[in-house]
Amino acid sequence: MRNDSNVSLAAVKRKKTTIAAGVFLLPSFLLIAIYFIYPIIDTFVISTYKWNGISSARVFVGLDNWKTLIHDVFFWDAFKHNVTIMVFSILLQIPIGMLLATFLDAAGRKFNAFKVIWFLPYLMSSVAIAFLFTYALATNGGIISSMASIIKGSKVTIDLLGRSPHALFAVIGVMAWQYTPFYMVYFIAGYGNIDTTIYEAAIIDGATRSQYVRLIAIPLLGPIFKTACTMSLIGSLKYFDLIWNLTQGGPVNSTELMATYMYKLSFQQFNMGYGSCVAAGMFILITIIALLFQKVFVVKEDY
Amino acid sequence: MKHKFLAITMVALLTATIFSGCGSSASTGTETADSGASEGKQTDGKNLPELTTEPMTITLWDIATEEPGRPTQEAAVARFMKDYPNITVEQVHQQNDNYKQQLVVAMSSGQCPDMYVSWGGGPMAEYYKSGFADDITDMYNKYDHPDFIDAAIAQGSYDGKILGIPFGSLSGCDIFYNKTIFKDLGLEVPETIDDLEAVCAKLKENGITPFALANAPKWTGSMYYMYLVARHSGNEEFDAAYTQEGSFGSEAFLFASDKIQDWVKKGYFPDGVNSLSPDDGQDKQLLYDGSCAMMLHGSWLAGSMSADNEDWYKENIGVFRFPEDAEAKAKGVPQDVEIGTAIGNCFNFYSNGDQAKLDAMYVLATQYYNDDTYNQMQMDTFQTPSIKGYDKQVTDPNMKIITEVFFNASNVQLWYDQYLPASVTEVHKNSMSALFGLEKNGKEIGADQDKAMKEAIAEQ
Repeated sequence: MRNDSNVSLAAVKRKKTTIAAGVFLLPSFLLIAIYFIYPIIDTFVISTYKWNGISSARVFVGLDNWKTLIHDVFFWDAFKHNVTIMVFSILLQIPIGMLLATFLDAAGRKFNAFKVIWFLPYLMSSVAIAFLFTYALATNGGIISSMASIIKGSKVTIDLLGRSPHALFAVIGVMAWQYTPFYMVYFIAGYGNIDTTIYEAAIIDGATRSQYVRLIAIPLLGPIFKTACTMSLIGSLKYFDLIWNLTQGGPVNSTELMATYMYKLSFQQFNMGYGSCVAAGMFILITIIALLFQKVFVVKEDY
Repeated sequence: MKHKFLAITMVALLTATIFSGCGSSASTGTETADSGASEGKQTDGKNLPELTTEPMTITLWDIATEEPGRPTQEAAVARFMKDYPNITVEQVHQQNDNYKQQLVVAMSSGQCPDMYVSWGGGPMAEYYKSGFADDITDMYNKYDHPDFIDAAIAQGSYDGKILGIPFGSLSGCDIFYNKTIFKDLGLEVPETIDDLEAVCAKLKENGITPFALANAPKWTGSMYYMYLVARHSGNEEFDAAYTQEGSFGSEAFLFASDKIQDWVKKGYFPDGVNSLSPDDGQDKQLLYDGSCAMMLHGSWLAGSMSADNEDWYKENIGVFRFPEDAEAKAKGVPQDVEIGTAIGNCFNFYSNGDQAKLDAMYVLATQYYNDDTYNQMQMDTFQTPSIKGYDKQVTDPNMKIITEVFFNASNVQLWYDQYLPASVTEVHKNSMSALFGLEKNGKEIGADQDKAMKEAIAEQ
């Protein structure tokens, strides 16, 4: 073996690892740069223009769009709806998901079928779910109105999507139906990660199943809770597809979210500059809220 | 293990989301069997530009994803390509729902199709102002073209310039009604709005909701609003409100709003009107099961009801034009302003200075779309081309009435939601759900629409 230089073997290996890591990371970095970093920067750039989204002529207006945004009642209303959805999503989806997971974890293999059945809603696309629920919630032959009619014995119309504020809560319900299964699976995975020796030790020490869940499993799941809440929070704040297909932000803006408002401005009203400003505003708000949440919600990571 | 399962599931879902992006199908004009092996082109002997013999590709975007539009339009392209084998037309059928957004994205990223569908009105004006729609006034005046009705050309024009060649069909807007219910209750077709209200009262007494309306998309409710405004003031007040010399809070608009809200309070519209959607046919259903007796809608409803159940449609469905406002008539307000569209769709062209391409597209749009074969296929599916003379050939009795009303109109008011600038359209549509939901009154929605209109004018 020839060794011309006095570079140590460890250093060569380190260098090689760095190169290999670089090569492997480059494709994903390029994709992220093209599809995430560049659009975010460009959104901020476009937000300083007055532009209809088509024409090659765009007029630089500085911070005018931002000034409008700060006083835009529609935007802040939309933001309020997002926050309402966020609060209810966290209050509904995560506890229910957790309960289902606890049940499945305790019940063992014979209830595996439920695991699959309960996961189904999450596998459907939001567009399909939106269609499903337009029918289910319809006043004319929808499940809820029809059931109410059968119970009461005469025709009853329960209008959930056509009135404010009912529409927003109907949408929150549908979202819970769609996303609870995700958190269920997430918590099942969390339970799976708890070492079985801990369970065995607890049982030997005379703990009951409920004591184990309450005093041992749930605290151990702390980090999982935190991540789940963060995901639900971000998801609720940038939510778009289901609402768009279910209500299009209606009736009269009562289910308008920041994302649907942005879409309408950019693509339906030919106001790309201001639409981008709304998108950038969303980006800032979501980042701030998510960071605040991470700071406030401190979970002890080690036991 | 479970971590891995979760990770794999998430990766799979994310990948699926990425790839399920845009869906559009391209087809390069399917071959159609043409029995006549005649030499020569169907454009021979006509006054048209000489087309190039060099190879050329034309990208064409339309929204004909379903029958009967798709085969009709593909056949037109196939006839063109047979006559001009050197020219390839790439027909891309886009989903209607996303079409306008797709087009905006294509234009802004330098991928604008050479020839594309639009509805005229506000959006077309935006395309023109941004340089993506050619002015074809000179070509239209110089070369042969079908004898389109004036309203159709007017709708494909902006600022006195012809930008679009119509190829769809006219769509009137009239009241479809259940003849059987009317007969059973001894009701007559109403001539005036007062008569109409009497009919509604009688229907309501008998436990039937007068109007089938699904107002989730808001343009459906707008039909009632537009007609009441038109009957009360002709075009005058709307035109004035459009330029903001008048106002959306002027008398005719308040008249329309008050009437609608009065009717809502009296239960003349179905419960939950703002959540019913015509896309699922929820308005038709109310007509079918006899819980509603009338429906103000676009004339395409005739074709769709006939397709659902031809016998039932023939036996039960009649049509009358929106009743007149007797009081306004006495004051001399014209009662023959009708709501609708004279073209349905038109083609706009973006040649980017390539005259040879524009020539080819002009010939395709005027001579292959809109030729006899094309028009016959349209007529077979309950659609009347906006070309003079076709009104005489309509056979369905309801379509006959609709077409007659349309051809006799002194003026055709295009749907507000197509005519108004895009930002005002949004406000107008929201006003319609607020109006039918009794959340705002006529004055308030008038003020909202005025504000949006003023802003839109200021931006021009």
